[in-house]
Amino acid sequence: MTDPKPARADADLGRTLADFSVPSEPGNERMAMETVAESVKDLGFAGEDLERIKTAVAEATMNAMEHGNHYRPEVPVELQVLATDRDLLVRITDRGSGPPPKEDADAPDILAKLEGVQTPRGWGLFLIKSMVDEMNISGDEGHHTVELIVHRTAEGGK
Amino acid sequence: MDVRHLNVEVRLEDGIAVLDLMGEINGFAEEALNAAYAKAEAQDPRTILLNFEEVDYINSTGIALIVGLLAKARAAHRSLLACNLSEHYVEIFNITRLSDFMSVFPDEQTAVVEASGS
Repeated sequence: MTDPKPARADADLGRTLADFSVPSEPGNERMAMETVAESVKDLGFAGEDLERIKTAVAEATMNAMEHGNHYRPEVPVELQVLATDRDLLVRITDRGSGPPPKEDADAPDILAKLEGVQTPRGWGLFLIKSMVDEMNISGDEGHHTVELIVHRTAEGGK
Repeated sequence: MDVRHLNVEVRLEDGIAVLDLMGEINGFAEEALNAAYAKAEAQDPRTILLNFEEVDYINSTGIALIVGLLAKARAAHRSLLACNLSEHYVEIFNITRLSDFMSVFPDEQTAVVEASGS
């Protein structure tokens, strides 16, 4: 993992709380989620709110490592954590080509999975969307970026 | 950060096969989880209880593995139960609707009492 870079001010995006990358290797999503969790603690996120952020970051990082970077360790997933007065933003970027994943993918059908009609997998995007207030996906010919947005309350956390 | 690979111990409690899960439930857990489930199933229990007390991380691949166990249990007309999930993973079991198909209990004792009485 690259070291988190020092915080900087950005007029449009607010403060950068962390900016780092992880190699695309199975299990590294935990490193990503713990680094993000540490970076947002001063915003007041804790307890269940923090757990939701961690799950969303872990799942988005897994998707990026698997589908975007095909688990090639030399190809990093880049993470940027930003805070405005209103929102926490986490941007997760891979080096995937082709169309980015659809944001409006159907919710998995557990009964179809239990009956063998659907694969047991396919929970990632659904979990991410369930854990955050907004999820945006963008991409160009060489990158996909998933942006997770969590609204902040007056107390700081969601 | 080191991955905490899953270890599973299987024991019989009042006729219920209890799987004590220790570690992370992710893609690395498939072999250990399926082997432990097969060991439990070999005792032909009516109910199998997954004890999550020592589990601190479940990802979407882990959810898929649990769905796979649930499918096996349903096919064999066994009940699959869960206990000792953290508040966060109870929420995840609810939103994925896993909890519609496997009862979730706050602790092992409650699960065993409920399963023994049913």
